Amino acid sequence: MRTPLRHPPHPLLPRLPAALLRVLLPRAERDEVLADLATEYARCAADAGVPAARRWLWRQTLRSAPALLGWSWWRGWSGFEPRANAFRPGIPMLNQWLTDARYAARRLRARPGYTTIAILTLALGIGGTAAIFGIARPVLFDPLPYANANEVGMLWMPGWWTEEEFLYMRGKFAGFQSMAAYRPGDVTLRENNAPTRLIPGISTSAELLDVLGARPLIGRGFRPGDDAQGAEPVAVISYGLWQGLGGTPSVLGSRLTLSGTPRTIVGVMPRGFWFPDPAVRIWLAKPLDPEGRNGSYALVGRVAPGVQLSHLDPYVERITKTLGARFQYEIGADKTRNATVQPLRQALLGSMRPALVAMFVGMGLILLIACTNVAALMLGQVEGRSSELAVRSALGATHGRILQQLVVEALLVGLAAGLAGALLAGAGFHTLAGALPIGAWGEAVSFDWTVFVAALAVALGAVLLVVLVPAFSLSRGDLRGALHRARTGGLQGRGGRLERGLVVAEVALAMLIASGAALLVRSVANLYRIDPGVEARGIAVVDVLGSPDTPSPQRGGTLNTVQAALAALPGVRSAAVAMKIPLRGGGDSFGISIPGKPDAERTFTYFRVVSRDYFATMGIKLHEGRVFDSSDRPLTRADSINPEMSIIINEAFAKKYFPGEQPIGRVIGGGFGARQRIIGIVANVAEANLTDDPQPVRYYLGGQAPWFGNRETFVLRAARPQDAAAVLDAARRTVQRVAPSLAVQGTTTMQRVMDAAVGPARQVMSLLVMLSALALILGAVGIYGVISHFASRRQRDWAIRVALGLPGSRVVSHIVGQGAALAIGGIALGAVGAALLARLLASFLFGVTTVDPLAFAAASALLLLVGVVAAFIPARRAGTVDPALVLREQ
Amino acid sequence: MSGGAAPLGVLEEQVLLAVLRTAGDAFGMQVRREIEHVTGRELAIGAVYATLDRLEAKGLLVSSRVHDAGASRRLFELSAAGAQALADTRAMRERLWKGVHLPRHLAPEGR
Repeated sequence: MRTPLRHPPHPLLPRLPAALLRVLLPRAERDEVLADLATEYARCAADAGVPAARRWLWRQTLRSAPALLGWSWWRGWSGFEPRANAFRPGIPMLNQWLTDARYAARRLRARPGYTTIAILTLALGIGGTAAIFGIARPVLFDPLPYANANEVGMLWMPGWWTEEEFLYMRGKFAGFQSMAAYRPGDVTLRENNAPTRLIPGISTSAELLDVLGARPLIGRGFRPGDDAQGAEPVAVISYGLWQGLGGTPSVLGSRLTLSGTPRTIVGVMPRGFWFPDPAVRIWLAKPLDPEGRNGSYALVGRVAPGVQLSHLDPYVERITKTLGARFQYEIGADKTRNATVQPLRQALLGSMRPALVAMFVGMGLILLIACTNVAALMLGQVEGRSSELAVRSALGATHGRILQQLVVEALLVGLAAGLAGALLAGAGFHTLAGALPIGAWGEAVSFDWTVFVAALAVALGAVLLVVLVPAFSLSRGDLRGALHRARTGGLQGRGGRLERGLVVAEVALAMLIASGAALLVRSVANLYRIDPGVEARGIAVVDVLGSPDTPSPQRGGTLNTVQAALAALPGVRSAAVAMKIPLRGGGDSFGISIPGKPDAERTFTYFRVVSRDYFATMGIKLHEGRVFDSSDRPLTRADSINPEMSIIINEAFAKKYFPGEQPIGRVIGGGFGARQRIIGIVANVAEANLTDDPQPVRYYLGGQAPWFGNRETFVLRAARPQDAAAVLDAARRTVQRVAPSLAVQGTTTMQRVMDAAVGPARQVMSLLVMLSALALILGAVGIYGVISHFASRRQRDWAIRVALGLPGSRVVSHIVGQGAALAIGGIALGAVGAALLARLLASFLFGVTTVDPLAFAAASALLLLVGVVAAFIPARRAGTVDPALVLREQ
Repeated sequence: MSGGAAPLGVLEEQVLLAVLRTAGDAFGMQVRREIEHVTGRELAIGAVYATLDRLEAKGLLVSSRVHDAGASRRLFELSAAGAQALADTRAMRERLWKGVHLPRHLAPEGR
């Protein structure tokens, strides 16, 4: 009995107010009120003229609007329908929805178990997805804060760039209009009496900000010449640092003593600017040395007008030619080979992508599982209500009307879940951000309203997904048939296919996550099985930053004092200091010369400057000869004529340069301009990265070799291995007390250094294992629900059979078999998807392929186990129930 | 209406009285016109209908449909409870007025 959608406007009333009133008025009274108004309007027009009547009508419409809206709302909420309206068709839209909402709220309140499970399940998925969205947004979606972002790329070549190379190539970078060189340049800041602070920074050539197209908020950027030797040292600071320094414009032109050098602040970058990551708070113009051969610079450049970032290959070839004509490279560090240009976004953020995408997918899968679960729950509700729905249908309710009620119920659940999810996202946001391998970004992200909006949007999407299933079931279902069945109390053994399909889907989704987690567990186990060559347990690590301008002997003195103080701490067995400890990337390397071996001249090896007790403290095994001892004197002025240093090499060094010879006692050259006598051979240590092949390394004794650069790392071996973390606080205080000029950059343990070296795989693994646990729980709930439904539907059936002599155990095994069948179906389906999805994890895998059979088997076995256990509970109940009881009940 | 019920609002009281005054002809529009006529203030039709509905939900009014000349309209009548509510409201007001005399200098002119 629907009235046509478009009404002709009331013949006697102006079009617009009439239309407005039509929308606002309850349908049952619409015509009579309009008719009344038309009469009144006509009278008014006759008395006072049409314009006055029009004004009157508009006044009536506008002033009625709030009352009419309130009226509609109130009727919908209270459900009041006047007696006079009985048998009048339809109630207005708003009323319908509100009536449904009221009804749904009542139903949900009456079923607290169902409601709580549905809301919590959805909230987990929604909260997780929203949180990961909030964290990933700045990395994956937000535009970079640089005007030229789309024209800027990083020029990658094997090995870092030196100042010499960069200055030679400056202006000769074909295809680029400008190119900047930068490298990490953390500095210390000492203000008055405050302890020395570390400020993460970047040392850069003057082009950087122009290349990026970034303008300072106040002041200026770098000018050409700021990076010349002898130029006034200048720095540009971040908005955050500016606020920390008072946030007044007077900061411009002021001087800060950074790592012992006074620098003039010339500019402040706007809020939201970051490069190359959000932790960096200061950019320093670096005086570049045309002959500087050390330095590990990265290059970032803006392409010339008309050149596409993706079509740079011919230009890069020209660049490598120019470079090759001037410099000689050894194989493996040959800059003229394998040069590529990477778009800036990929270069800066690309490394975080896999982890974020994997987590996004993982959370999305959890959300899907949650949706499936709630859909199954709702389906069960719809089936349980089939008699009620059938009666309503028999009384004239359309499918659409019944569906609308379902949608309203799902919306209510979704709204509650969205709010709960937003709360969950807020509560877990920083934990999740910290657990993800995204470095400085983990601290830079903030929970804001977009996460909240995302949670609600996700909830809405989830609701639509959830409603699809019961809607489908309704559209297919034969409601009147249900009425017959309900009346005859007939068996409903068949059916539930949709429900079982949902559970299979759920298990398949859980399989995706669980197999991914299993792959990572295997991979991470492989990584931890690698022997790094040091005894990581029991070592405390203190990183310090000093000023590079302190002369080496004086620094050596400071380091010795600190080392002695640290070694004297209670609970510390020994302490040492090194320029760089293992597992933290390449570090410095030198050329080498070996008498009688001219080939060695073109190669480089890593070198490390360490203190005397380094090897004992780190637990590095000595293979031959001896380690440093008191007979290795520091070099004095008297040695400057023909200095000789003692060095220790590792096995890889011996194997590469002295195959089949005795290296001990041999004298080599290259580096520090001194003769170097080999006194010992130690085991190979993973000096750079955990998964590297053994690399040749030379170890020098600090004091004989100068301490250069500005970072050192103290290592402390605790007397009891489990105390490594416990001594850190005392160590930090000791450094601050003994050597105020050193800034403690951080404290950690060697075990954590090892964890960091294992890399993002470990963190992604932990998160995926957690998600798998969640998926397994949700999957178990799903299987449990469907199987108990199944068991209760066929209760009478079995009761009869048991009464006739079927053993209860057969009933149990039959039902458990049903659960296992569901699990197996899901596992098979999931395994196919998992093989495809595992590619997302490829970058984290080590020693396993994306289709590792062991990982898949483990995940399958786990899921099957969960399926069987979840099915066993209802099965046992069905198998042990007294048949007489069941038969009497029905 | 038993004493525990909420007292009538001003508009509610006016609407109830207007239904009484237009007895037998108390359609929504008539009620509105009656109040406008007596109080001299324009009243939005929406407010009148919403109030009529609320009063019916409280049981102070009953409505029925009358059909004439093809149109069907709701006709309102006072219920016993409605009459009681009006009486209560009036009684309360009179109790409040009892012994109250407006000071001469404040009394409106013409009274």
